Amino acid sequence: MIRVNERVLLCLSLTAAEPWPENATLYQPLKGEGFFSSSCSLYHLQTYLRMCGLPVQVVCRPNAEYMSPSGKIPFIHVGNQVVSELGPIVQFSKAKGHSLSDGLDDVQRAEMKAYMELVNNMLLTAELFIQWCDETTVSQITRHRYGTPYSWPLNLILAYQKQWEVRRKMNAVGWGGKTVDQVYEDVSQCCQALSQRLGTQPYFFKIPTELDALVFGHLFTILTTQLTNTELLERVRSYSNLLSFCRRIEQTYFESKDS
Amino acid sequence: MGTVHARSLDPMPMQGPELGVQADDIEAPGVQQEPKQEVLENKDVVVQQVHIDGLGRTKEDLLTYEIAEVFRAKNLIDVMRRSHEARQRLLRLGIFRKVEVIIDTARGEHALPNGLDVTFEVTELRRLTGSYNTMVGNNEGSMVLGLKLPNALGRAEKMTFQFSYGTKETSYGLSFFKPQPGHFERNFSINAYKVTGQFPWSSLRETDRGISTEISFPVWKTNQTLKWEGVWRELGCLANTASFAVREESGHSLKSSLSHAMVIDTRNSSILPKKGGLLKIHQELAGFTGGDACFLKEDFEIQLNKKLFWDSVLSASLWGGLLLPLGVEKTSIADRFYLGGPTSIRGFSMYSMGPQSDGDYLGGEAYWAGGLHLYTPLPFRPGRGGFGDLFRTHFFLNAGNLCNLNYGEGPQAHLKKLAECLRWSYGLGIVLRLGNIARLELNYCIPMGVQSGDRICDGVQFGAGIRFL
Repeated sequence: MIRVNERVLLCLSLTAAEPWPENATLYQPLKGEGFFSSSCSLYHLQTYLRMCGLPVQVVCRPNAEYMSPSGKIPFIHVGNQVVSELGPIVQFSKAKGHSLSDGLDDVQRAEMKAYMELVNNMLLTAELFIQWCDETTVSQITRHRYGTPYSWPLNLILAYQKQWEVRRKMNAVGWGGKTVDQVYEDVSQCCQALSQRLGTQPYFFKIPTELDALVFGHLFTILTTQLTNTELLERVRSYSNLLSFCRRIEQTYFESKDS
Repeated sequence: MGTVHARSLDPMPMQGPELGVQADDIEAPGVQQEPKQEVLENKDVVVQQVHIDGLGRTKEDLLTYEIAEVFRAKNLIDVMRRSHEARQRLLRLGIFRKVEVIIDTARGEHALPNGLDVTFEVTELRRLTGSYNTMVGNNEGSMVLGLKLPNALGRAEKMTFQFSYGTKETSYGLSFFKPQPGHFERNFSINAYKVTGQFPWSSLRETDRGISTEISFPVWKTNQTLKWEGVWRELGCLANTASFAVREESGHSLKSSLSHAMVIDTRNSSILPKKGGLLKIHQELAGFTGGDACFLKEDFEIQLNKKLFWDSVLSASLWGGLLLPLGVEKTSIADRFYLGGPTSIRGFSMYSMGPQSDGDYLGGEAYWAGGLHLYTPLPFRPGRGGFGDLFRTHFFLNAGNLCNLNYGEGPQAHLKKLAECLRWSYGLGIVLRLGNIARLELNYCIPMGVQSGDRICDGVQFGAGIRFL
């Protein structure tokens, strides 16, 4: 992570003067592959770039995960640079003169960072947990989707390898012993906090920020992904202001631009 | 009647069958004849019994094939010749440390007056042998541990395990080899391995995990090998600075391929031969038996050697290869050909010619390379008959080309493409032969026909390897 940041800072000093190029490309895995957590970050990143007004072309590659310098997807290829992970991409676009949180004061910026941490720690981990640690989801959906681009027996080998990796990560963050119900409860609590913060405002702050992109990325994915049961969906649906928040962002940044 | 002893030679160091026993390394055994002894030379004899002493794990049925010819001998000279051949065959199995032959007159009840008994006294290799090496190369140091069961099941089956622990990479391999009893050249082997390689010229790192089975058998003067290989390949960038073209190739792929190789080798030695030729044809079809990689690869190698005046040897070689993608997918960077460097076209840096992207060489789908060498002994022949014979001076002329083909253009255009922008080099140097498996070269090279993007090594270049153009 630190190394990536250094790289971005280097980019910053080198390319601050250069404008955002027309041929910026965002690489993501094939649709459906690694469906849950990767489509969250894809929506997050796309929303963020659209909020900034930065044009980007989306390219699907089955090996996107391995093309990325940090192993995280999606990543962008801008000019002759490759930047992966959301944090570095935000810094990178800031270096190019595009930032969303410039209008916030220091207190608000700290608050935004705190909420972003909350979402990353709770929602992202919960999604990974459901995707890779809930046995029914793993056997019915995840393993099959993850292995789709590969031929037998590589599809199974890679899926088990990934599952093992995620489980190790879960144990490291102390989620190893959790049950699915506990995870649903965590998601509820996180949504509760977000819902309270949002209240009746259109965005979390007075202008669209990284936090809006992040929350949209996760909630929209949860709302649109079909899982083995609807428990997670129901939990999120019970917060009506979050639902309308998602619809608003979808309409503003996706439907209007696509048409 | 006196005893005729055909005493064997000194025990030979046993190496695996792949290294082989060179026919010209072995002299015919001397015959000690005692005075006052009856001349048996022209008399008809009958080999009545053949004993093999010293067997432990080895099954006897395996050895009966090897010694069967001894019974067919008609006179003493013939007995000695056939016994000697049988001894060579026994040693070739790679399961005995030492084989001695004793020929004696037949004894016992049924002994005929002209009957002979032949006894092979063998010493088996240990059940388990081990080795330990350290290797340095490619900016990496590694420690190699090897374990070998030379006679695992008693019929010359060989089981080997190698483990290499390096400062950067760990590799291992397990193989099982079984020859057909009586036909050592017909053999079967299974391998399982994990190998990691770093290719700085392409900023690429490749990890292969695979299994393969192969059978080898001789047909007429050729040696044929059929092989199936299933490899899980993981490609990655060696550094963050790798070009995007290499980054695009990263990820996992599965190659399942059937391959066939044919070799005719009449050379007297594989390193620094004096006479004979080599023809090697290799073809590989991937994708037919599953996997993601789909291609057909053809590859050949020809070498001819001719002895000239004053112990000098003229050697000419030609290599060529073609890779045809069979599916919609492009060929992988791991399957393409690479050319250049001290073992192919001298004067260029290792694998640093042809298609490239930001200084990372991507390899080509077609190549050819030719070389002409004149090997001479060292000037003034220092150390003649000993150490000096390991060295040769050579003058060389290398040429070749590597490119990608557009299959819409037809064969005429391909040939034209391979003939234009020819890279070539010439120079001279010293060659050192290391055993019968590798050689070192120190050359002064002058590269010519350098194309933009090629990396050259103008002047002194050092090379080490087992396969040379």
